[in-house]
Amino acid sequence: MNFFSLAAKNLQRRKGRTMLTVLGVAIAISVLFSLLALNSGYEKELNKEVNSLGVHILAVPKGCPYEAASLIIHGGVIPKYLSDSDYRNVSTIADVELATPMLMHQFMKKDEKTGVSTPHIIYGINMEETRKLKPWWAVEGRFFSDNETGVMLVGRGLADKENLSVGQVLPVGPKKENFTIVGILDRTGDQDDQFHFFPLKEAQRVFNKQGLITTIAVRVRDVSRIAAVSQEMELIPDIQVVTMTQIMGTIMNLAGSARSLLLTVIAIALIISAFGIINTLLMSVNERTREFGMMKAIGASGLDIARTVLAETVFITLLGGILGTVAAVVGSSIIESFVKGMLPYSPGGSLIFYSPELVGFSLGFSILLGLLCGIYPAFKSSRLTPMEAIRGGVE
Amino acid sequence: MSCIIEARKLCKVYLRGREEIHALKNVDFSIEAGEFVSIIGPSGSGKTALLNLLGCLDTPSSGSLRLNGTEIAGQKERDLVRLRRENIGFVFQQFYLMPTLTARENIELPLLFSKKNRSAKRIDEVLQMVGLADRGDHLPGQLSGGEMQRVAIGRALINDPKIVLADEPTGNLDSATSEMIFGLFSELKKRGLTLVVVTHNLDLARRAEKMYTLRDGRIVGCVERASLDGA
Ligand SMILES: Nc1ncnc2c1ncn2[C@@H]1O[C@H](COP(=O)(O)OP(=O)(O)O)[C@@H](O)[C@H]1O
Ligand SMILES: [Mg+2]
Repeated sequence: MNFFSLAAKNLQRRKGRTMLTVLGVAIAISVLFSLLALNSGYEKELNKEVNSLGVHILAVPKGCPYEAASLIIHGGVIPKYLSDSDYRNVSTIADVELATPMLMHQFMKKDEKTGVSTPHIIYGINMEETRKLKPWWAVEGRFFSDNETGVMLVGRGLADKENLSVGQVLPVGPKKENFTIVGILDRTGDQDDQFHFFPLKEAQRVFNKQGLITTIAVRVRDVSRIAAVSQEMELIPDIQVVTMTQIMGTIMNLAGSARSLLLTVIAIALIISAFGIINTLLMSVNERTREFGMMKAIGASGLDIARTVLAETVFITLLGGILGTVAAVVGSSIIESFVKGMLPYSPGGSLIFYSPELVGFSLGFSILLGLLCGIYPAFKSSRLTPMEAIRGGVE
Repeated sequence: MSCIIEARKLCKVYLRGREEIHALKNVDFSIEAGEFVSIIGPSGSGKTALLNLLGCLDTPSSGSLRLNGTEIAGQKERDLVRLRRENIGFVFQQFYLMPTLTARENIELPLLFSKKNRSAKRIDEVLQMVGLADRGDHLPGQLSGGEMQRVAIGRALINDPKIVLADEPTGNLDSATSEMIFGLFSELKKRGLTLVVVTHNLDLARRAEKMYTLRDGRIVGCVERASLDGA
């Protein structure tokens, strides 16, 4: 027999109370675990997403904050533009492997059935260069070539949502010009699934933005040259340079405020469950003063009594920790959709990422919780003199 | 003289609020190693107070109490714990068994605190000695009162104490079962243990070699028997 098996046996006396306390801990730990899993998953997905752009640097119009750069990745409109000549200047910088201009246009489209308007995003792109940046692009139907007119590509997600098929003709722009869907992009798992893609020239013409572009995406020959290239790009008057690392930082900051809200929720959940544990322990310790007296009479020291109480607490919190972690893993999809709704920007892929370290941390934390909650009741019962303890229950 | 317990002018004062309660007043007595002693006396006379002092659960207010030559008065709790572990086995009226531990586990419990090792065989022996060889896996709830008290006696014996102290061990038992428990005490005495048993039952108390009577915190009588002839 050891203190832990003794604790396990002692806790069987009040199964209902023990289970309720375990449940309280489990809930708190599962929330904690989910948040941490979410945090590491979020960063991981964001990294993947930024890499999937195949782009190292974005040139955006001056005065455009970093937040706008994240809008560009996600889709969104900035009321400022760069010009074709900026693009030509950027392309000539040494170490730029590829630079491609993009024009973004957003419009609202009303769903006929529900009457709800949702934003739609059109990207004017240079297909040849874009395909070099995104070699994984594949298409049902065909890609367009850059001097074609009246053609577009749509993302698979968008096509599925709006029941679009290859060959379908859609009215576009102020003059409701007919554009034919020549291809549907295979699912990429990122934001490209939701966009319309037009030849750049056509986008500029239809939306009256001749010679204007929203952004220039740049790929550098060697990652170590990113800083040098962006410095050189800064010299072009109209351009503000945003590197992908900056964008990630910005998005992480945005997400940070949402996460601190969640953290508060967790802290409250943990505090409530901690008080629940302490209360349960004090109750069971008070009920058992005579038993502790007996234990002292048969040779237990105050430390032994404290150990017994602490072992019981840790048993409860560890069991709760295991249960909570398992529940968090099992229920991760529910938690994920809840959290995605709360975050200002969420990547397409799965946000929750577990690692053995994380499991270890959350179990370690439940042990710590047990030790913290157990200290006072353990101290209290260890201080009883055997006499007090034995008499305590009699009268 | 091999006195295992020696009390000189032993006093115990309890405080109940402002009121001083003199539970033991100048108690003088000694118990030899291997003796079987019983203590009787009306309720409130100080029997439990005395037993708790002998068991190192409490320290004297004044006077001297020597256990195996060691003075108890003024000892620190830590040393009392050690003295208790090494010398004392305690048996209570209410048994105080852990309800979710089997008879065997209850008997093993003191080993957890004394950090001593006992072989499974030794635990079997103790079970056998208290007549519970076939009850080891039963929980206290599945045992009769007499069986529970025998588990408690087994628990008191597992650390091989020199002295067994019992505070009204048969107070909750019927007379036949009480007989059995005292039979068991006689067995232990034969094995060389020192026994101090508090009881209300005069018939049972007379089975001991020496019978002290307590009244108002004083020893007012001591009856000796020449020998103990069986149960
Ligand atoms: N911890 C205590 N605090 C106050 N009074 C006590 C305490 N322990 C015992 N007493 C008092 O001391 C006296 C002797 O008690 P006790 O030894 O329990 O008697 P007995 O066991 O003979 O019935 C009683 O008057 C009792 O009320
Ligand atoms: Mg008493």
